[in-house]
Amino acid sequence: MRKVFLTISGLVSGLAMLSSCNHNFDHIPVHEKPRWEFSPQMYHSEAYEPVTQIVDKERYKEHYNTMPGNNGMNLRLPVKGTVKRQYSEGAEYKFMEPYKIVKDCLQYAAATVTSPLEVNDKMLEEGKVLYTRYCQHCHGAEGKGDGPVSEKFMGIANLAGGQLVNVTPAHIFHVITHGKGRMLSHGSQVLPEERWKIAHYVKEKLQKQQ
Amino acid sequence: MSFRALKIFSGCFLLVFLLNSISVFAQADLANGKELFEGNCTACHAIHKDKVGPALKDIKKRRDLTWIKKFIRNSQNVIKVEKDPYAVALYAKYNNTEMTAFPSFKDNEIENIVAYIMDESVKTPAGPVPTTPSPEGQPQVNTSGGNDTLILILTVITLVLVAVTLIVFLTVIRRYLKDREDKLADEDKEIVNQGFDVMAVLRHKAFIIVVSLLLVGAGVRSLWVGALSIGVEQNYAPKQPIPFSHKLHAGNLKIDCGYCHTGVYRGKQANIPGVNICMNCHSAVKEGPSGKENIAALVEAYNNKKPIQWVRVHNLPDLSYFNHSQHTVAGGIECVKCHGEIDTMSVVRQASNLTMGWCINCHRETSVNGKDNAYYDRLLKFHEEEVKKGKRKGEMKAVHIGGTECSKCHY
Repeated sequence: MRKVFLTISGLVSGLAMLSSCNHNFDHIPVHEKPRWEFSPQMYHSEAYEPVTQIVDKERYKEHYNTMPGNNGMNLRLPVKGTVKRQYSEGAEYKFMEPYKIVKDCLQYAAATVTSPLEVNDKMLEEGKVLYTRYCQHCHGAEGKGDGPVSEKFMGIANLAGGQLVNVTPAHIFHVITHGKGRMLSHGSQVLPEERWKIAHYVKEKLQKQQ
Repeated sequence: MSFRALKIFSGCFLLVFLLNSISVFAQADLANGKELFEGNCTACHAIHKDKVGPALKDIKKRRDLTWIKKFIRNSQNVIKVEKDPYAVALYAKYNNTEMTAFPSFKDNEIENIVAYIMDESVKTPAGPVPTTPSPEGQPQVNTSGGNDTLILILTVITLVLVAVTLIVFLTVIRRYLKDREDKLADEDKEIVNQGFDVMAVLRHKAFIIVVSLLLVGAGVRSLWVGALSIGVEQNYAPKQPIPFSHKLHAGNLKIDCGYCHTGVYRGKQANIPGVNICMNCHSAVKEGPSGKENIAALVEAYNNKKPIQWVRVHNLPDLSYFNHSQHTVAGGIECVKCHGEIDTMSVVRQASNLTMGWCINCHRETSVNGKDNAYYDRLLKFHEEEVKKGKRKGEMKAVHIGGTECSKCHY
């Protein structure tokens, strides 16, 4: 009897365990506070990883890793005067130097700066992807300044027609870098190489689509 | 026909021709004005309402043409050098927003634009633009699962009906048999008169064994499931310092993920955007569906140079390495595959469980796109050979090029 009992209970328990093997975690409810962890020292980096902020000092004790000072910010601006190394296929040395022309010198930049990139189909295709990512929600898919954000933001330039048909790619590059009018600087988001690709895409595709 | 009649006829003809040509000229005027206005002005100006700049209705009645030309060609010159009082007041009224200079406009082009504006000014404005309903306010209709509930309810009702019918049958039969008790055999009598003893059932050995086994099994299972889900943060939806709706920004306004999460195609981290990226739009947009408060908090943080401490939602344990660009660029995987339908979430929650089993599963199932990429040439060749030998099947998956090696992620 005892043997039978043991066998059966073993079988049932084993089945119960097996039934949870192929398990998804949908039963976990939507929760605001983090749940249990096995071992925080394996979960949270002790090094200051970018955008990792562990602000609950009591809970994480020595793993508390918000930057002291600097408003607790882990992300910091580069040291002043440092030059970022930039690499780009086929144009390695063209992007080594930072873009030094200041915001006010739009006319000068538009007239003197030339694109380091060669215009070809592949580059324009990449330009389209970048335009969709960084510009489309305001300037619209066809560049008419009618993207979904334009209703709220207003005052968005028409890239496809009007006065901007006559500007040089360098003008567009400069405006992406520093902003113009209501548009703020997008230099922190779009890399120099990507700005050129967008500028050429606007010139070659959006303004020549009619 | 007399000479006089011919003279009158030709005079009339000339007059008609002239009038005609004038009207043709006026039409060309307006068409050109419309084209120029829509190409260059509508971004900031409307005719019947203030936009970024003032409404331009009846502009010619307020200002003369020379002033308009001067202002359009270089407004900053009029405001800062000439210090025209009307222009200075206008500049101050519209938050010192500089109007783009249009030095390339010719005299007649500006006249055309003004003519178009004056023509439109007479027309009544189109009815009020229907405001888009606030995206947050709509009640959520849960369509999924409705079918299952209906089936469940129907089943329960059917079962209850069956039970009731059975009980009724039982009572009727028992009553019928009791009436003829004297004609029954002794054994049958026992059955008919049998009472239902609950305690006897509870004390029965088989019952106790079955129930205790079930209890033990359920206990073991829930313990096991609970232990498994420790450290799993699926459905984690923390409250953020400033409520930010991805449904509004990524869903309704269709802002690309990569616009704010700038690192997602470039490096390990997708990046939480700095406040400067928020300000790209919120320098002008000061009111949203939830009111002005939250945007004001954002602007205050920006002005005081105080970072906003967003609460991290997705955290892969430090013991495993994960790189976003490897998956988004090399793998070509869409954001929604792991993060779920972010563009429908007002409050972001972790959609995937981020367990190792989940990672490995995807590595086993996902084909590697090695076309036109020299890096994969030899791997693809080797894969084809293995397929010919019968050692592998189908396309080359991530697992075939080391996607499940321990040291790929743990080191």
